[in-house]
Amino acid sequence: MARLSVLPFLALLIVWEAVARSGLFTAFVLPSASTVLLRIWADGATGELFIHLGVTLYRALVGFLIAAALGILLGLIITRVALVRWFFEPIISIGFPMPKIVFLPIVTLWLGFDDTLKITMVVVDAAFPVVTATIAGVAGVEKELTWSARSLGANERQMVREVLFPAALPQIMTGLQVALPVALIVCVVAEMLTGGKGLGGAMLGASRVADSPGIFAGIVEIAVAGYVLVQGMSAIRSKVLAWHPEALPPATV
Amino acid sequence: MRVAVHYLPIVLIVIVWEAVSRFGIVPTRSLPSLTSVVNAWIELVASGEMLANAAASIWRGGAGLAIAILVGASLGIAMAWWRPLRMLVNPMVEALYPLPKSALIPVTALWLGFGDASKILLIFLACMLPVTLGAFNGARGCEHVMVWSARALGAGRLRVLWDVVVPSALPELLNGIRTALALSFILLVSSELIASRNGLGYLIGSLGEAGVYDAMFAAVLTVAFLGFISDRVFQRFSQWVLRWRA
Amino acid sequence: MIEVEGLSHTYRTPDGRAVSALDNISLTVAEREFVALLGPSGCGKSTLLYLLGGFLPIERGVIRFNSTPITGPGPDRGIVFQHFALFPWKTVRGNVLYGLEKMGLPRADREARAREFIEMVGLSAFADSYPSQLSGGMKQRAAIARTLAVDPGTLLMDEPFGALDAQTRTQMQTELLRIWRRSPKAVVFVTHDVQEAVYLAERIIVMSARPGRIKAIVDAKFDREDPQLVRTQAFRDRVDEVWALVHDNTAEAR
Repeated sequence: MARLSVLPFLALLIVWEAVARSGLFTAFVLPSASTVLLRIWADGATGELFIHLGVTLYRALVGFLIAAALGILLGLIITRVALVRWFFEPIISIGFPMPKIVFLPIVTLWLGFDDTLKITMVVVDAAFPVVTATIAGVAGVEKELTWSARSLGANERQMVREVLFPAALPQIMTGLQVALPVALIVCVVAEMLTGGKGLGGAMLGASRVADSPGIFAGIVEIAVAGYVLVQGMSAIRSKVLAWHPEALPPATV
Repeated sequence: MRVAVHYLPIVLIVIVWEAVSRFGIVPTRSLPSLTSVVNAWIELVASGEMLANAAASIWRGGAGLAIAILVGASLGIAMAWWRPLRMLVNPMVEALYPLPKSALIPVTALWLGFGDASKILLIFLACMLPVTLGAFNGARGCEHVMVWSARALGAGRLRVLWDVVVPSALPELLNGIRTALALSFILLVSSELIASRNGLGYLIGSLGEAGVYDAMFAAVLTVAFLGFISDRVFQRFSQWVLRWRA
Repeated sequence: MIEVEGLSHTYRTPDGRAVSALDNISLTVAEREFVALLGPSGCGKSTLLYLLGGFLPIERGVIRFNSTPITGPGPDRGIVFQHFALFPWKTVRGNVLYGLEKMGLPRADREARAREFIEMVGLSAFADSYPSQLSGGMKQRAAIARTLAVDPGTLLMDEPFGALDAQTRTQMQTELLRIWRRSPKAVVFVTHDVQEAVYLAERIIVMSARPGRIKAIVDAKFDREDPQLVRTQAFRDRVDEVWALVHDNTAEAR
């Protein structure tokens, strides 16, 4: 069900415009929706918008993809290799609930301020939900399914790739759906903390000069980017899990 | 014994950390030794800096989260209970939910400055959404049969709300609060790092700028530990609240 | 030929108690013989089947398959589970092809063979459907096709019709006999349904519970091509006889 619904946004814009025009707040505290949209339009015309948006999306998505690959791989290995499981289990159970963004000043000491830092922070934060979802997904695979595969001649490697991975895929996809917004949140925060290009950096710049339409423009841009990514992810889910009962009509008449 | 084996990897990492910085494999500028970090931590506590800043952070986080839970839970349950409200609020919740919440940091600073109020508002706004959604989904999932049988037993509408709908919404509500708790730490620390004059995030930032890295490590690890421990405590609390479940 | 000698198996309950599931089981199953393992729940009949399949480690005793002790699962012993265990992300065709791919057959042969077996179980029209789109009976047909396609010498069936409704169940029993007559192989069929055991198997191994032991072995050689078989007196008498044995067991198990 990946429907890019415009209606909620329209409703939100109307409420915003009405409140802003009601005179309850000054234009500095709450610039009207139209002002902010015009501002976004202007930023788009100069190309500024696309640079910041592109930089942020690049960092968030590259980090997310690395986190997804690493997380799935590590999760699968953890379920199969006892030594790896022994090593990573306490690290994951302690690391998952920690606010990992707090390590940013430390990672800055090691990696400096450029893209590597932001992508690393995104990877570290987004990998956790993927690893735990993969482990939970594999743990939930029925033994009859793996037994069937073994009895049909699958070896250990084929078992992981052809049975455990696809069987755990619904939960892995859920993990990815959790990880994607995390990637964006962390990316934007990292950009705010280090400044420079990107939507977070641009918002920080706007807030330094008390440019309130600029700040609100940033929020709208990030909100739209987040919404599109989340919807895209759920479209990918229904595509990848086309076989899943949640997506299929019954074949029997 | 089993616990010792379970947490051995953490001990190993700590030993490697100490060895790596002690034998100068990496400069102490990048990685101060564990012992110096512990000493710095003791100093931070002794000087009162740690406690003063921690108190500021905990007040902000606690207040923001408490308001978010109160408002969010009431709103979510009300949405499930009363159709017009759902039709009014649901589209906005849907549109705002995927918003990367960190985008709100500059606005709240713009509105309320660098003090407590901006952080409390930030955490309230950001954490309200997962709580609302959890309460809404939980209350909506409450089976009609249960509501009907409660009403058949003579319970009034409000009684049913309190006795049937709220308890059956609890598991999802608590889940939403757990998400909110994690989010509150992320936002609290980042907003204090970006725009603040006290709090643990500010402490980390100022120690880093001053180049006192062992103390900065001590403060970072303190926040990480607080985040971890509050999640554990909350999970225990959830289990206790939901002990009626099998 | 399957030979089981002095097989015992204990399992641990979640609270750590050791429970004897099988105690000193010995039996043989001849080539092309249809044998039923019949008994109340908890008599270890499924455990015995899983040991034959090589899915559980053998603790005491030995299982020989054509004179070679078994060490693990293999395509020489196909298995069909009560809850089908189809790969839900593969179509019926994909499921049937899976074992054929592992056999290393050329592509054209795999496709032809998959088609043949899907047709044999009457699912040609649903070859490209996913398992979740099929009814329970169709799922079990697909699972049987998947298992038979790799041509195992022995077929292990773990209450395969236990999850189906009564009507589908009868239909599937007839179907199974038809398939078995077409390509006879040793079948070990676990069930707790007396009528089903007498109807399908040439030999019925009646087991008792806690610990699982062989209580009796009953011959049930009938003319299964006779559509009136289940109404004959001889058949009914055999059902009554076996039922009495199982019932006695159940009382003992308490």
